[in-house]
Amino acid sequence: MKRVVITGMGAVTPLGGSVSETIQALDDHRHAIRRCPELEVCKGLRSWLAAPAELKNEKLIPRQNRRSMSRMSIFAAQAALEASKQAGYQPALFSPGKVGCIAGSTTPSPITIHQIYETFIPTRDFGLIQAMQFFQSMSHTVAMNLAQYLGLQGRFLSTNAACASGLQAIGTAYELIRAGSQEAIFCGGAEEFHSTVTGVFDMLLAASTKYNDDPDHASRPFDAARDGLVCGEGAGILFLEEREHALARGATIYGEILGFDTCSGGTHISESNRECIAQCMRQALTNAECSPSDIGYISAHATATLQGDGEEAAAIHAVFNDTVPVSSLKGHLGHTLGASGPIEMIATLVGLRKNRIYPTRNLTSVAPECQGIRHVTEIETTQATCFMKNSFAFGGINASLVCKID
Amino acid sequence: MTREEIVTTINTVFEESFEIEPERLVPDANIFLDLGLDSLDTVDLVVAIQKKFGVQIRDDERVRSIRTLGDVYQFIEVIYNEKKA
Repeated sequence: MKRVVITGMGAVTPLGGSVSETIQALDDHRHAIRRCPELEVCKGLRSWLAAPAELKNEKLIPRQNRRSMSRMSIFAAQAALEASKQAGYQPALFSPGKVGCIAGSTTPSPITIHQIYETFIPTRDFGLIQAMQFFQSMSHTVAMNLAQYLGLQGRFLSTNAACASGLQAIGTAYELIRAGSQEAIFCGGAEEFHSTVTGVFDMLLAASTKYNDDPDHASRPFDAARDGLVCGEGAGILFLEEREHALARGATIYGEILGFDTCSGGTHISESNRECIAQCMRQALTNAECSPSDIGYISAHATATLQGDGEEAAAIHAVFNDTVPVSSLKGHLGHTLGASGPIEMIATLVGLRKNRIYPTRNLTSVAPECQGIRHVTEIETTQATCFMKNSFAFGGINASLVCKID
Repeated sequence: MTREEIVTTINTVFEESFEIEPERLVPDANIFLDLGLDSLDTVDLVVAIQKKFGVQIRDDERVRSIRTLGDVYQFIEVIYNEKKA
């Protein structure tokens, strides 16, 4: 089997338009949660908070590429360009058809879908729908726009498992390179904010509703006073490469992916299940040929929902007991859904390379059901090299990835 | 709608939808070779024109013979007058 390394990373997040801006914000303990007027005007919507990313410099993407991109694909393209530059990616350095593209999002562009139906329903006139809106509202819109923008001709896949989409993309890319079918793959996830996205979580009693007047304290994973998640947006894209290929071309290696697992819990359509999460983490460790004691940090999925955080904490306790530092970056970033896995993985990797573990923001009083694990509540100095990233999704979908910094 | 208003409206479509600088919007400009539109852009050009002028032109064979911006102006003027009549 081949070894798979990370040679490029890029991100557009609620905390900044690049990896370095995002890391600086985490170093400064800043957060991105805002009260959102767009939500306040929606009848029946009780959650008025969001973690928006800034759309800027989009015209640097040629119109011919940008015309089929909604906000999420633009974020992904910008993140991919950052990853590409960091990796020193040039097509001529790779075999034809051996650089792939795997990316996903929770849904196609909710903004574009809204616009389409806003036009179509009152008129019933397809003549008013633009062709480009069609390309923005396909399930694989992020991945296909990314592949077009970068001119990629290798393996293509769109992962669409809601909030696990991004981590599934990275894990699948890892497995393909490991098996020798690709030399490198751009992979990750993207998301764009829209009232309907928050509306879904609010409807399912999973969005924060009690902190509309106090955004600073709204997103509080594992905390006793948590009351749900805050939706965010952005993109995280990694350039994964076969290790020998990266070494041969003299690329800088930032980390190595050691193992991955993703599974369906099969127990409940919306509720997380501790046994299934634990099983996923154990399988990822097995695939990585690691034991729990090899893991120096866990970047939790924990979104600040009442049910999910408790199940994840219980699962982590079952596998790792209280020995491994754990935190969730959603207190800073909100829940960037399909982009959360890649964004938080990149932040973790860069943080650990600086001997730094970022804490769970707003975790001041650990909820009883979230105890039994080693929570990180302040920035910690660490010598840890190996970490686990978790992402979970509605439908009982779990994903865990084991990564080692280089 | 006067010819001048048609020209202004069409030029606005090219500026807003296809990001063409105003100084390039001259009647002799070939919309494909000079302004860089492709077949997909023409789909959205038709949609934009239908919205702006309240006309249905998607099935109109005359659309296929459009090459220059001047052709677009001329076509819309004819269509608009046909509609009015």
